[in-house]
Amino acid sequence: MAVKIEVGAGGVPHNQILIYGLVGSIILIYLTYLNEVTNTEYFAFFGGLACVAALVWGADTIKHLCSYGLGTGVPSAGMIALGSGVIAALVGATTGVFAPIVAIIVAAIIGAICGLIANHVVRMDIPVMVVSLTELAVVGAISVLGLIAMVGGTFNFMDLITGTTVVLGFTVQSYGTSVIGGSIVALIFMLAAIAIQHAFNACLGPNEMQDRTLMLAAECGFLSMIPIAVISFAFIAFVPALISLLVSLIGWFYTYMRYIELSKRDAYAWLDAQPILEPKGGA
Amino acid sequence: MSALGGPAQTSGVQSPTGMGLIVSIILIIVALALAFFLVQMAGLLALVGIIIGGVLVGFGVHFVPVGGAPAAMGQAPGIATGVAMLAAGAGLAGLFGGAWAAPLGFPLALAGGAIGGGLLMAITCTMVNVVYIFGMGIPAASGKVDKDPITGDTFPEYKSQGTEGHGLPFISWVGGVVGGALGGLGGTLIYLELLNVYQAQMPALFGASVEQIAPIAVSLAGVFAIGMFLMNAVLAAYNITGTIEGPHDPKFKRFPRAIIAAAAASAVAGIFAIGLLELLGVF
Repeated sequence: MAVKIEVGAGGVPHNQILIYGLVGSIILIYLTYLNEVTNTEYFAFFGGLACVAALVWGADTIKHLCSYGLGTGVPSAGMIALGSGVIAALVGATTGVFAPIVAIIVAAIIGAICGLIANHVVRMDIPVMVVSLTELAVVGAISVLGLIAMVGGTFNFMDLITGTTVVLGFTVQSYGTSVIGGSIVALIFMLAAIAIQHAFNACLGPNEMQDRTLMLAAECGFLSMIPIAVISFAFIAFVPALISLLVSLIGWFYTYMRYIELSKRDAYAWLDAQPILEPKGGA
Repeated sequence: MSALGGPAQTSGVQSPTGMGLIVSIILIIVALALAFFLVQMAGLLALVGIIIGGVLVGFGVHFVPVGGAPAAMGQAPGIATGVAMLAAGAGLAGLFGGAWAAPLGFPLALAGGAIGGGLLMAITCTMVNVVYIFGMGIPAASGKVDKDPITGDTFPEYKSQGTEGHGLPFISWVGGVVGGALGGLGGTLIYLELLNVYQAQMPALFGASVEQIAPIAVSLAGVFAIGMFLMNAVLAAYNITGTIEGPHDPKFKRFPRAIIAAAAASAVAGIFAIGLLELLGVF
């Protein structure tokens, strides 16, 4: 049973979104490195913005991949993206300042192999499979790394596995109170996986419009940033975490209002301007 | 743009292409060699364990009766959701069971994982039938076979016209439990192998005891196990293209493709997970 999933035509070309998403998210993720340069934690929120930029790109990739009837639903694409992305992100994190670059390379390798296997062993035979799974793995890796940088203020592995805890007035180093030791990565995994697949899953169908889908992707990204910003109170100082929370809330509110506006525009256009055409000669 | 290409909807099983087979075998051999080179014999054995775990996950997914959207409307047999969701549920439940039992030894932990996954699927399948039978008022009938291979119940009298069957016959229930158990077993095996590797490497690397390092080792192994589990589950889902009724479904015969795919994907993801700490401190 092949399920036909209709996708709106037109809009910004995918390659343009790919370049904006990739370059934008790399620049944004490197802006969190200002934390180490200036020895503060005020720039942590750029990690979340990198995640949002990557998610917008990822939602457009999922739109391209899932327009070929996969038969398994859109969420599976988000799950394989983050499944391969989380491995790449953590491998990348061990390389210090090169973390985003290494994460992207490792993710591209894992994603391309998954795509090859899906096309040549499982025999999906979908032309965009290899490219799409490569892009999705990269998006997954950037999302995880970005949110890790947001919650911990850094993407350096050694800083992510050590945390401090206060016992009887003494500050003690402990592995259990760190970003990785506290299993925050598992939460980040799910928050990003749900954000990446929801946009197209919710908007697919006739009259799907690219700007609306991508606005929903950005909205999901900011929504995922909010819990991460709340968690970051435990790992970075109060004022930087507050800045992260405010940025997430403002971003979420703006994208949400824009999304509702676009939804009303499209609903209006569908109901009044484009009546559902009956086939000639009756149904 | 609409669904023009997509997976070929032929009745027979398309065997993997020669290129796919060769690439998979080369990838597995290269990964095994790298594991031996990086972490010696322990790494090689760990990667073999991870590959077996991944194969068990990929194989187990084929047993789970996945109905998708048609099942939600009572028009197809199976559980009314996608493979990714079911596999994530069974796999995580198995992983929790296995991780809880990990200090009790290898066999008990594996058994704990299998029972965790199987128990979750048993509860899910039972409650699905409760909802179908007492909530929607439909009997359990398979559309793919005329007789239940275990109980001998006949189906055609109970199958509504225009549907592919409905509800969850006993054979599907058994398939679900077996699939959940295999998935939980595979996920736990991946987790235990990675945990062993990290617990062997980390104390020397960070100058800490095994107890101190435990939160990081457990967290990393857990996240990687989830990631690899979902990769294998989604590749298996692509293999069955959406819906399957259980071990009696003709689509079940496609499982050899998923085994090759899962072995190659787990080998690639596993080598990055095993070699995670090798890059630490290089840059």
